[in-house]
Amino acid sequence: MNYLLPERLDRLAREYALGTLAGRARRRFERVLAASPAATMAVQTWQQRLAVLDGANVALAPPVGNWTAIQQRLFPPAQAPAAAPRGFLQGLLGVLSGRALGGVLAGVIACAVFLRLQPGVAGLETQGDKLPESYVGLLQDASGKPVVVASSRRHGDVLTVKVLQPIAIPPGRVAELWALPKNGAPFPVGTVPAKGSARIELYEPSEKVFSSVQDLGVTFEPAQAAPGAKPSTPFVLTGHCVKVW
Amino acid sequence: MPSADDLPHLLACVTLRDRAAFERLYRATCGHLFSVSFRILRNESRADEVLQEAYVNIWHNAGAYNAGAGTPMTWMINIVRNKSIDLLRSRRTESETTSPLDDDTPEIADDAAGDPQQLMSNSLVKARIDDCMSALPAVQRQALALAYYRGMVHTDIAQALSAPLGTAKGWVRRGLEQLRSCLEAAGVSGL
Repeated sequence: MNYLLPERLDRLAREYALGTLAGRARRRFERVLAASPAATMAVQTWQQRLAVLDGANVALAPPVGNWTAIQQRLFPPAQAPAAAPRGFLQGLLGVLSGRALGGVLAGVIACAVFLRLQPGVAGLETQGDKLPESYVGLLQDASGKPVVVASSRRHGDVLTVKVLQPIAIPPGRVAELWALPKNGAPFPVGTVPAKGSARIELYEPSEKVFSSVQDLGVTFEPAQAAPGAKPSTPFVLTGHCVKVW
Repeated sequence: MPSADDLPHLLACVTLRDRAAFERLYRATCGHLFSVSFRILRNESRADEVLQEAYVNIWHNAGAYNAGAGTPMTWMINIVRNKSIDLLRSRRTESETTSPLDDDTPEIADDAAGDPQQLMSNSLVKARIDDCMSALPAVQRQALALAYYRGMVHTDIAQALSAPLGTAKGWVRRGLEQLRSCLEAAGVSGL
């Protein structure tokens, strides 16, 4: 379908701006918006028209604690101590309760124990003894050997990767890290070094990037994958992406 | 509406990671934005959650604001509206496939969210297009109000107004067309 035909675009833009465009049609149009300045402009024009309907809006005070919660999400170390997380084991069990997979349990516990003992390797040092709310992945090779730890604070925008065992990256290739959503195609996150550690700047907050991601994987690609790219070679490392909170 | 005078400056400072400006922006806009979310979700804790996410988004993406595309408040309202609409519909999808964990009884009286028709009427007066919009039958203005202030989709509107789906769609479409022509007739620039 050509979304950019003027009449069709105006209809979709006004329904999107109003909110009556729903479900998959709304998601499809959001993808069009991400790629089309004309579509973005059409929506913004309707948003400006509709803004007059907010002219007499009556302000309501948000709940007490709203601002503090925002600060804690954005500036946890500087502004306030992180909200007390649920017990670590309780958090793990919450994640695992629906997954009767022994491998998951073994991998996650190994990863959790590893991070508990050495939180510094994944950039997860805290002032106290508790891990901050984070997304964590332990990627293993085909023999089950742990090779990479990946972690990102839940509300952060950086993913830290630590290579536990040197990766034999073929000449002329890069080790690309992919996120595998529960329902959807893998998308590239960044590249992993052959050894040592690296910080990958996320294009959106971690919570948005990883909230529906179930697994992580690494492939050897000819070059760093561009947004929207798909893996071109088989996964050499894989592991579950776990919410630790 | 809060005073809009300082908002472009505050937003520009937020782009530069100025936390004091971010707090001033929050203080100037949170009541308005919370109201926008609450009238769609009609649940205090969920509107609270949306507001938190919206300001986190504003902090990270202040640089994406384009002054040519409307005022800062319009930009922020649409961040909040889209998040509220997404949450409203994701909860609806969840409740269709799972057992409810809690009921959806509003935690604040509906009055606090404002009556959609009254809100629309007052807003049209303020924009000085109430006469022009009164050319529209009341039920068509009501359909538009339910879509905008409550985040209703066409099927919800049809059900709420006891009308066939096609009729409800037509009411909303004509409401928007009338809004456009009234704004053009009023000479509102850029629209």
